[in-house]
Amino acid sequence: MRAAIRMEVLKVKGRKIWLVVAVMMGVQMLWAGWAISNKDANDLAQGWMFFLYQFPMLNCIIMPVIAAVVASRLSEVEHKGQTFKLLETIVPANRIFDAKFIWGSIYMFGAALGQVAIMIGMGLMLHFGGPVPWGALGGYLFFTLVVSLTIYAFQQVVSMLVVNQMVPMTLGLVGGFIGLFSMFFPQGFQKFILWSYYGVLMLVGMNWDQNTRAIDFYWTAIDWSGFALIFVFFGLIYGIGRILFMRREV
Amino acid sequence: MSNVIETEVLSKKYENVYRVKDVDLLVPEGAIYGFLGPNGAGKSTTLKMVLGLAKPTAGEISVFGKRVNSKNRLENLKNVGSLIESPSYYGHLTGEENLQIFQTLRGVPKQNIDEVLKIVRLDNQKNKKVSQYSLGMKQRLGLASALLGYPKLLILDEPTNGLDPAGIQEMRELIQSLPQKFGMTVVVSSHLLSEIDQLATRVGIIREGEMVYQDSLTKLHQYSQQHLAVRTMNNEVTKSFLSQNGVAWEVQDDYLIIPQMKDSMMSEISKVLGQNNIGLVRIEERKKSLEDIFLELTGTAVSL
Repeated sequence: MRAAIRMEVLKVKGRKIWLVVAVMMGVQMLWAGWAISNKDANDLAQGWMFFLYQFPMLNCIIMPVIAAVVASRLSEVEHKGQTFKLLETIVPANRIFDAKFIWGSIYMFGAALGQVAIMIGMGLMLHFGGPVPWGALGGYLFFTLVVSLTIYAFQQVVSMLVVNQMVPMTLGLVGGFIGLFSMFFPQGFQKFILWSYYGVLMLVGMNWDQNTRAIDFYWTAIDWSGFALIFVFFGLIYGIGRILFMRREV
Repeated sequence: MSNVIETEVLSKKYENVYRVKDVDLLVPEGAIYGFLGPNGAGKSTTLKMVLGLAKPTAGEISVFGKRVNSKNRLENLKNVGSLIESPSYYGHLTGEENLQIFQTLRGVPKQNIDEVLKIVRLDNQKNKKVSQYSLGMKQRLGLASALLGYPKLLILDEPTNGLDPAGIQEMRELIQSLPQKFGMTVVVSSHLLSEIDQLATRVGIIREGEMVYQDSLTKLHQYSQQHLAVRTMNNEVTKSFLSQNGVAWEVQDDYLIIPQMKDSMMSEISKVLGQNNIGLVRIEERKKSLEDIFLELTGTAVSL
C-alpha cells in the first residue's frame, strides 16, 4: 500500500493540485477579511464564533469544489493515459482505490487545516475577544474533515468510474449549491443532503434580532445523530463505490 | 511442450450477445502465438479475460498450468506483461518516470528501467515527457512497461496499431527477438494477416467470437498447396471415374478440383476420359493464397 501511495504522489507531479487548494484558501481568506472588515469592537469580541459560524457556511460551496477538482485531477491522469488496464494487472483494484483516497484525503486535510490557520491568524491579528478556542477549532477541523472526506469519497467514486470528468465536476458544483441553499431548510431535511453537513455539524448558532438588527452568536451542542449519519453516508459511499470500481471491466 | 495459456470453453456475453464463445485457446511455451481475426472478432475481449480485466460469462482459464480465479489472479500475472489495445502512460511525466511507477508497483529492480529502455531503444528519450512522444514511441514505451519484470509471458494486443511501416517493422523485429533473448512466450493479436504471417509460429483465428482455426502457421500454409481444376464435357461421369480411381475431388463452379498429381497420372486420366468420349476442355493449376484461406475461415476481407 505504501508503494501505491508513493506512486500517487509521483503521478500528480506537476499537476499543481496544491495550487487549486491554495487558490480556494485564498478566496476563503479574502472573503473572511471582507466579512470581518466592517465589524466593530463589540462584534470582534465574538470574532471566533463569527468565523466558526461563517466558515462552515462557506465550506458548503468551497470544499465540494476542492473535492471535485482534487478527485478529478487524480483520476484524470489514469483515464487520459488508459492506465487502469495496466495497473489492474499489477495491483489489486481495491488498493488503487484506497491509495487514491488516502492521497486525496491529504489535500482535503490540508484545506481544512488551512482554514483553521486562517481563522487563528486573523483572530490573533484582529485581537478577537478571549483566548484562542482551541477545543472549538479542533472540533471544527475534525467535523470539517469528516464531511469533506465523505464528499471527497463521493467525488472519487464518480471520477474513477466516469471517464468524462465534466460529470463529477458538475456534480460537485451542483452539490455545493444544494448544500448552501439547504441552509434555508429545516435541519431534518438537511440531514438527507450530503453537502449540507457542514451546517448540520456547526458548533456555533446565531440569533438575529429583527428589531435591533443585532447578531448574537452562541455555542451549540454537537448534533451526534448528524455525526452518526455522516459516518453511515461515508461507509455506504466508500463501500459501494469501491465495490463498483473493483467490479467494473476495463 | 506445455501450454502457457489454456482456456476451456471461454465465453463472454454482453447484453445477451456472445462476443466470445467457447474459445479453447492453447498457447504453447516458447511460441509466438498470433491471434488473428477481423476487428470486433473478440480478440481483445479474450485477452482481457486472460488478464482478468473482463470477467468470463463461462469457461475456465489456466495460466502457467494454474487455474485462474479472482484470488490468485495477480499472483499468476506476476510473470505476465501486457499491452492491451493501446499503451498505458502518464503523458505529463517522462518516459523514465512512467516506468518508475510500474517498476515500483511490480516490485522489480530499478535497474530494469534502463535495461528495458535500451531494449525498446528509448534510452535517449527517457527524459522527454511522454505527451511529446510519437505514437510509435508511446507504443514502444508500452512494450517497455510490459517487459519491466522480464515476464515469461507477454500479451500484446494489436501492438502495431497506428504505426507507420517503419514502426511496424521495428516493432516486429523487437517482438521476434524476445523468445530467443529472454525465453518469453509471446501472444500477439492482430487483424493483419501479413503481420502474423511474418511473426507467428502458431496461429489462432477467431471469427465472431469463435475460434475457427488453431494450429501451426506451417499447417495453415499447407492449405495453400497447389491443386488442379479440371473441366470436362461431362463432369458427372468424370466424378464417378475419379472416385473409382481413388482421386479426391470437389466441385467448384463448373470445375472439379483435384489434388496436384504427376504428369503421367494426369495424362492417364485424360486418355481414359478421351476413350470414354468425355472431352477434357480445361486443366488449370490453382493455388489458394493465405488471404483466401483467411477469407474462407473468417468470412471477412483481409485488412491491408
